[in-house]
Amino acid sequence: MGRYVIRRLIQAIPVLLGATLLIFCIVFALPGDPIAALFGDKRPDPAIAEVLREQYHLNDPLLLQYWYYISGVLFRGDFGVNFADIPVSQIMAGKFQITLNLALTALTMEAVIGVGLGLWAALRRGKATDTMILASTLLLISVPTLVTGFVLQLLLGVKLKQWTGADIFPVAGTFAGWRSYLLPGFVLAGTSIAYLTRLTRTSLAETLRADYIRTATAKGLSRRRVVGRHGLRNALIPLVTYLGADLGNLMGGAVITETIFNLQGIGNQLFTSVYLREQPVVVGIVTVLVLVYILANLVVDLLYAVLDPRIRYE
Amino acid sequence: MSNPTPPVGPGLPETQTMVSDTVTAPAPHRQGKHKQAKGGKPASLWTDAWYDLRRRPMFILSVVIILILLVMSFWPQLFTSVDPFNARTCDLSTARQGPSAGHLFGRDNLGCDVYARTIYGARNSIVIGVLTTIITTLVGGLFGIVAGYKSGLVDSVSSRLTEVFFAIPPILGALLIAATFRGRANSILLVIIALAVLGWPMTYRIMRAAVITAKSQDFVVAARALGAGAGRIMFRHLLPNSVAPVIVVATINLGGFIAAEAALSFLGVGVLSPDISWGLMIADARDRFLEAPLPLIFPAVFLCVTVLAFIMMGDAVRDALDPKLR
Amino acid sequence: MRVTKGARIVAGTALLALAVAACGGGASDSGGTAAGGGETPVRMEIGEPQELLNPQNTTETEGSEVLAAVFSPLVRYDENKQPVEEAAESITTTDSKVWTIKLKSGYTWHDGTPVTAADYARAWNFAALQDNAMSSSYFFGRVDGYEDVHPGEGKTPSAKEMKGLKVVDDSTLEVTLAAPFSQFKTMLGYTAFYPMPKSAIGPDGKVTQAFGEQPIGQGLFKLDKPYKKGTDPTIELSVYDKFPGKKPTGWTKLQFKVYTSSETAWNDLQAENLDIHDSLPATAISTAKQVLGDRYFDEPDASIGYIGTPLKYNKDFQNVDVRKAISMAIDRKTITDTVFSGTRSPADDFINPAIPGYRQGACEACTYNPAEAKKLYEAAGGPKTIELGYNNDGGHKEWIEAVANNLRANLGIEVTPKPFEKFQGILDALDSKEYKGLFRMGWAIDYPAAENYLTPIFGTGAIGTGSNYGGYSNKDFDELVAKGDQATDSAEGLKFYQQADDILLKDLPYIPVYFYRSNFGHSTKVKNVKLNLLNQINWADIEKA
Repeated sequence: MGRYVIRRLIQAIPVLLGATLLIFCIVFALPGDPIAALFGDKRPDPAIAEVLREQYHLNDPLLLQYWYYISGVLFRGDFGVNFADIPVSQIMAGKFQITLNLALTALTMEAVIGVGLGLWAALRRGKATDTMILASTLLLISVPTLVTGFVLQLLLGVKLKQWTGADIFPVAGTFAGWRSYLLPGFVLAGTSIAYLTRLTRTSLAETLRADYIRTATAKGLSRRRVVGRHGLRNALIPLVTYLGADLGNLMGGAVITETIFNLQGIGNQLFTSVYLREQPVVVGIVTVLVLVYILANLVVDLLYAVLDPRIRYE
Repeated sequence: MSNPTPPVGPGLPETQTMVSDTVTAPAPHRQGKHKQAKGGKPASLWTDAWYDLRRRPMFILSVVIILILLVMSFWPQLFTSVDPFNARTCDLSTARQGPSAGHLFGRDNLGCDVYARTIYGARNSIVIGVLTTIITTLVGGLFGIVAGYKSGLVDSVSSRLTEVFFAIPPILGALLIAATFRGRANSILLVIIALAVLGWPMTYRIMRAAVITAKSQDFVVAARALGAGAGRIMFRHLLPNSVAPVIVVATINLGGFIAAEAALSFLGVGVLSPDISWGLMIADARDRFLEAPLPLIFPAVFLCVTVLAFIMMGDAVRDALDPKLR
Repeated sequence: MRVTKGARIVAGTALLALAVAACGGGASDSGGTAAGGGETPVRMEIGEPQELLNPQNTTETEGSEVLAAVFSPLVRYDENKQPVEEAAESITTTDSKVWTIKLKSGYTWHDGTPVTAADYARAWNFAALQDNAMSSSYFFGRVDGYEDVHPGEGKTPSAKEMKGLKVVDDSTLEVTLAAPFSQFKTMLGYTAFYPMPKSAIGPDGKVTQAFGEQPIGQGLFKLDKPYKKGTDPTIELSVYDKFPGKKPTGWTKLQFKVYTSSETAWNDLQAENLDIHDSLPATAISTAKQVLGDRYFDEPDASIGYIGTPLKYNKDFQNVDVRKAISMAIDRKTITDTVFSGTRSPADDFINPAIPGYRQGACEACTYNPAEAKKLYEAAGGPKTIELGYNNDGGHKEWIEAVANNLRANLGIEVTPKPFEKFQGILDALDSKEYKGLFRMGWAIDYPAAENYLTPIFGTGAIGTGSNYGGYSNKDFDELVAKGDQATDSAEGLKFYQQADDILLKDLPYIPVYFYRSNFGHSTKVKNVKLNLLNQINWADIEKA
């Protein structure tokens, strides 16, 4: 197992280097001078711009710049500074917290709502409930986050308050603590809830067809025990792995949700930084997201082995 | 965010194809059925599926919606007499007025007719969705066949390469690409490229997995024994037997790409004014959304219906091709 | 200044002037009531400062707002918009060329050491020196010896200090300008002219990180702890006991709350979780008038929005009638009312109403007259197609589209709005002759004098180095401005500046479209809130209600 983890981590290095280099090249090619962008509507003083360019190594060749950057990250854990000399790690810290809160809220909702609905549908397979649930998942998959976000913000954030006077779902920002994450969390989770519902339904249905379930039923175990102990436990494997891998997707895909609900997470920060041409911040955020993705997938693979004794890693 | 490469439906649990090569790939889709088809049964997979599809109300409904949308995108004049590209049809002093006789959906922030703009917005969505799907399917499919068939170095290198693409969050990647090349290319073309660059690895993985399964089967072994070349094996034997899951994913992805275009346009890196796009209309209406929700709601509804139609069609196609999951 | 109040939402959230929420709010406060000591601070809204808090490197409004509380300027601006001595005892000149600044006694740095004339000379020399790359260096361009410390791109400075700055004694500074400039005293209220303590500069000759996070000033407030940009949601300050000037009565704690969306801040103001909000969003104006009543204020702000014409680059626009016709075809009133909801007002002069020297209705061609416009345009043979460039990162799209619709409908021509990533992109495209269309342009003043709307934008000397992007050049204009500069008193200078303004109104090198407004409001917990000409609050006057 230990050796497997090490091998996986070594395999991850080219992926990390490749992804960061790719992003570095794209960001490098971003049109517009990041130094000029600092000056807004004024023409930058060419002498000052030159001093700044020198200071931030902007005159060096691409690969050398990449080396400055990646060596800082790998050997010193230093993500560099933006063009106002603020450390990128300082900029990212608070934003990652917000995005993580959002992603975890979404993940919890997925797990509770998705698995719950899927279970229900699987047990009522072929009946009206099943069809209803399947149809609503289709709807949930089809409505883009962009639309769910605005519609729920209007209905639950604004209208609900006008009608009932109760301020349950804050419309924007994180000033209301954990309640601020409920609405955006659901919006972000939407598509995943639908997939998880379907996955749970299929997975459980397939498991319930397995021989050992038939044996358990034949043995005279109660239906509750058959489904709960034997069926669900085995059906859980793909669900857990789905959830594990989805954490990375949720964190990387939160930009629209964060924008609609004005949550100052990494998606929003990345978006702002792309516009300000803050290359170090853009690359820093993507690097961390890639790391999250790689680690999440590793954890998922290990979980596989834990949950399914038939899988062994050498 | 609507993922530009939405995970595939329950038939292909995405995580299993996404994890590592060390874990055995999930049970091949439709393995049994292929054998039957090859076994000389009169009804092929495709005739079977077509027979099945024609009897699905969801499929019929989605096809009807898609046909209407196609007509709308090619001949928008059939639906509205107002030309949204003509400035004289806008009147700033009527900005944000509600629906009226001549203006069913009301007016937007610049006093332009929301209905006409919504109708004309269909074209870019459809064009972007269809072209992106074609590109990702061709590129991903081609690489997938080659990588699946030629295991070893080719496979490892291309699989690592796709992993690099997978590791970058799709919407952020597309945002970056679109922002980078903005202004250097046609904005619609740019959206297509940005989405395709991050979309093809999904098709690649599915194709590769299907090819790996198919290649160990008897008919391939037999073909090779008879001296068939690599090209022939790949395109005559492997392709027809592994294309079904790719088609399913392509149809479902089409809806995803349309949603992704709206997201990019909303973020300001997609379709640019004076071109019209639903995402752009949503972005333009958002500041005054609470004051005047209609200019945002109408394009949003059209967007939803369009995406729904494609996903419904994909869902039906999948069910037809993979009856086990019904 | 580089970010104006109006365009500021942009600084926080880039392209998206953040959404929603006129009706939200009412949420419980988390952004820090009671910042220690039991006293509830006066809470003021700001956007995130762009840089570390270093006066010589701060040329945007948010950082300036914080620094204005920490530093005391040499001059402040009185009710009549005239500069009066604050940290200075007197500022005198006989020829507008040699200026003697005597400092008031009693001012000390927040660490207790006295403020001397050398602290001013240090700050100004530091700002001007090219190697330090301070964004405010251009403010010192009129001081004698600036060329030695700031010779330009690719050249090495031949001196470290400007020869025009002379420390006479601990409380006297003598400034010699390269040429007379009657408005020099007006400039001295700006952030760049704050002094700098010796401790600010580290052993490497740069301003230290510690100073940038917790600047040591000589003003009314000191920072309680370092401000970590990007992480800290608030900046906490308390009154500096030894401040010699006027102190607020009844309160000692001030808190800047950092918002990324002015809508969110507006919600907090309604919920009384915020006391002062000085950049209310256009979407909130109608509600704000109702909700706040006499706590809502709408005052002129010194910034202007123009449509620039590429005179030097495109002969299509060289005929003045073409420019006049375009100007008359723009329905400024409807645009400011509908697109901006009254957060802008129609422009009718090149000088802003917030500044002495403005004359109402001075710009005749700024009156909406579509019929006359069309006639004039056709007679002058204006181009059949026009491009209208704007930078996509500043919330300009909507009004540019509105202007485009005006021109299309009223002049019967094709107009293509052309988005650029950044304003800089427009300039580059103009310079390289890739782009020859009209372009939007905004101007926020550097110091509150009429002259600041003229020389930096339309002076022949501002082509290439300044903000004269269209390349307008008029000898009479340049001469009149120079006469204004050489005048020995400010009022006499203004007369010449107005004559120069008349030339602009006749030539219309740029087309003024709107003036910005300051739309601000405060909670029921404070009263007597006033903004000065630089949009900063007079803290000493505020009382708790």
